[in-house]
Amino acid sequence: MNPRLLGRVLHLVGLLALLAFTLFPFYWMVSSSLKDQTDLLAAPPVWTFVPTLSHYAEIWQDDTVSKALLNSLIVAGCTTVLAIALGAPAAYALARFDFRGKKDLWFWFISNRMISPIVLALPVYLMAQGAGLLDTHLVLILIYLSFCLPIVVWICTDQFRSIPPDLEQAARLDHANQWDIFWRIYLPLGLPGIAVSAIFSFIFSWNELLYALVLTRSDVQTAPVIATSYMSGYELPWGKIMATGTVIVLPVTVFALLVSRHMVRGLTMGATK
Amino acid sequence: MTNRNDDNSMAFLKIDNAVKRYGDATVIHGVSLEARAGEFVVFVGPSGCGKSTLLRMVAGLEEVSAGRIHIDGADVTDVPPADRNVAMVFQSYALYPHMSVRDNMAFGLKMIKTSKVEIDRRVAEAAAILKLEPLLERKPRALSGGQRQRVAIGRAIVRHPKLFLFDEPLSNLDAELRAEMRVEIATLHQRLGATMVYVTHDQVEAMTLADRIVVLRAGRIEQVGTPAELYDSPVNTFVAGFIGSPRMNFLTARVDSVEDRRVRLAHPALEGALLPLRNGANPKAGDEVTLGLRPEHLTLDAAGAPVTLAVTSEYVENLGGSSQLYARTADGTRVIAQAAGRHTTTRGDTLRLGASAEQAYLFDAQGQAL
Repeated sequence: MNPRLLGRVLHLVGLLALLAFTLFPFYWMVSSSLKDQTDLLAAPPVWTFVPTLSHYAEIWQDDTVSKALLNSLIVAGCTTVLAIALGAPAAYALARFDFRGKKDLWFWFISNRMISPIVLALPVYLMAQGAGLLDTHLVLILIYLSFCLPIVVWICTDQFRSIPPDLEQAARLDHANQWDIFWRIYLPLGLPGIAVSAIFSFIFSWNELLYALVLTRSDVQTAPVIATSYMSGYELPWGKIMATGTVIVLPVTVFALLVSRHMVRGLTMGATK
Repeated sequence: MTNRNDDNSMAFLKIDNAVKRYGDATVIHGVSLEARAGEFVVFVGPSGCGKSTLLRMVAGLEEVSAGRIHIDGADVTDVPPADRNVAMVFQSYALYPHMSVRDNMAFGLKMIKTSKVEIDRRVAEAAAILKLEPLLERKPRALSGGQRQRVAIGRAIVRHPKLFLFDEPLSNLDAELRAEMRVEIATLHQRLGATMVYVTHDQVEAMTLADRIVVLRAGRIEQVGTPAELYDSPVNTFVAGFIGSPRMNFLTARVDSVEDRRVRLAHPALEGALLPLRNGANPKAGDEVTLGLRPEHLTLDAAGAPVTLAVTSEYVENLGGSSQLYARTADGTRVIAQAAGRHTTTRGDTLRLGASAEQAYLFDAQGQAL
C-alpha cells in the first residue's frame, strides 16, 4: 500500500474511533430510552430490541418535564439575550477604545472562568437566600450571566478587533455617531462572533446543573434538575431518565447542527486575514 | 464651533503651523500650507514622512496638537470630522462589506436624513459619472479592485463635499489599473472642479495629477510647487532625488574655481563643465558640492556636449522604445542614463556621457540648491 493511502486510512480510522467515543454515550442514552425495563437491565446488554415509546409516554403524563423545559427555555433565553445585549457593547469598547484599567478589566473577565463553579456555590446560595431570590428565574439568569458574559465579551472582542478601523473612520466622516457605528457597522459585521457566543451562552445555560440544583426548589426547576430528580429513593427508572435526557438534549443538538457552520466560522475568525 | 474668518477667505484650505505629537514623539513639525478652491494638491514623500497623518488631521480623524486648520474660511480645528464637510477615499477603500454598492454610497446621506428621492438622484448621478450603474446591487466582495475604488470615490461624490481627501487610493491596484484610475481621477477633478488633496508615495501620480505638489520629509515640508517647478528647480537633493524617475544621479565633487557666477568642478570623471549658479549662494574654491544630473538629460553621444562624464558600463535595460544604461564612474558612483532607441554596450566598456550645463543641478554640502 502506498504511504499516502495508508496515511489517509489511518486518519480515517482515527477519526472514526474519536467519533464513536464521542457519540457512544449519546447513542446509549437514546437507545436506552427506547428499551423496556427488561432489555435495559439485561447483562450483557442487548443490541437488538423492539423499541418502545412507553418511557416517553410516562414523562409526558404530568406537566413536570414540560414545565422544566419551559423554565430552561426562559432561563437560557433570557441569559443569552442579556449576555449579548451587555457583552457586545462591552466587547466593542474593549476592542476599539483605550481607557484606564482596560487590561485589568480584560483580565477580570477572563479570571471569572478560572474559578471552579462549586467553590462559589455556597456563597452564591447564601447571597441568593439573603436577597430572597431562591427558586426564582432571576437568580439563575443572574448567575448564568456571570458565566456567559466573559464568553460573549471574549469572542466578540476578538471579532470586533478584526474589523478594519478604516470602516469606523469612514462612517464617522459619513456622519455616523458612536451608536450608529456600533449598530450599523460593528454589529452586522460581527454577527458570526455574536452568533457563536449566543450559541455557547444558550447551551451553557440550558445544560447547567450545579447551580440549578443548589438555587431552585420546585417552581423554577430546570430540565437537567428534573432528569436527576428521578434518581432518588430505591428505584432507578433508567428508561424515564434516559427519555428525559433525550428530550433535553435533542433541541440543542438539532440547533447546534443547524448552526455548526457559523460556529466554526466564528471560532476561527481572526485566525487568518 | 465653526467660526468664519475673513482673513482666510483667499485660501480654501489653510493649514497654519500644524503640529502632531504622539506622546513625546512629534511627527508633524509646524506645517503651514494653503490651497486655493478647485486646486488639486498632492502630498508626496517616503513612507513615514507624515503625509497621511497630515491628511487625517485635515479630515479630523487625528487631533491637531498645535496650530489651526481652516476650510472655506472656517476654523475647523476643533470641529468633528462629519461637520467639516469633507469626504475621504481610503487606501483600503473602507467599503462597508455587508452593504450593497448602492447602500455604501447612500450611507452618509441616510445618516443626515436626506430624502429618499434625493438620495436616489445623487447615487444615480455618481453611478453615471463612475460607470457603476450595473454594479449598484452588488456587495463589495463581488467587485474587482478597480470597481471597489470607484465605489469608494462614488461614496465621496454623493455627499457633495467641500473638500475631497484621497489617502493613497491607488496603491492596492496593479500598474495598468493604476494608470487607468489616475486618468479617471484627473478627469473627475476637471469635471467637478472640486478642491482635492491627494496623498501618495508615487511621484508619477504626484507629477501627473497635481496642480501643486507638497514634498514632505520627516514631518516637514521640503518644497511646494507645480510639478514643473519641482522638476526644474528642486530646492535640495531630497526633492531632486524624489521627483523624477529614474532618480537623479548625484556626484560628489569639489569647486575648482568660480568665475562670473559660474563654477568649474573638479571630479575625476567630469570634463569641461562651467556650471551656472542659480541661487544667490557664493561657493568658494575647494568647497564640496553635489552635482545632480537627471538620467533623461544624459546623452550616450557626448560629442559637442558642454559637460562630459566618463563612466564604465555595467548593463543596459532595453525598454523597447528606450534604453536605460547602468554605469559607474571611476570613484564608484552609480550613474543611470536614459536614452531613446536601443543601445547595446558590453560590460566594462568605457563610455562618455554628455549633458548640457543648464540641465545640471548644483547643491552645497548640506544638500541645498546652489
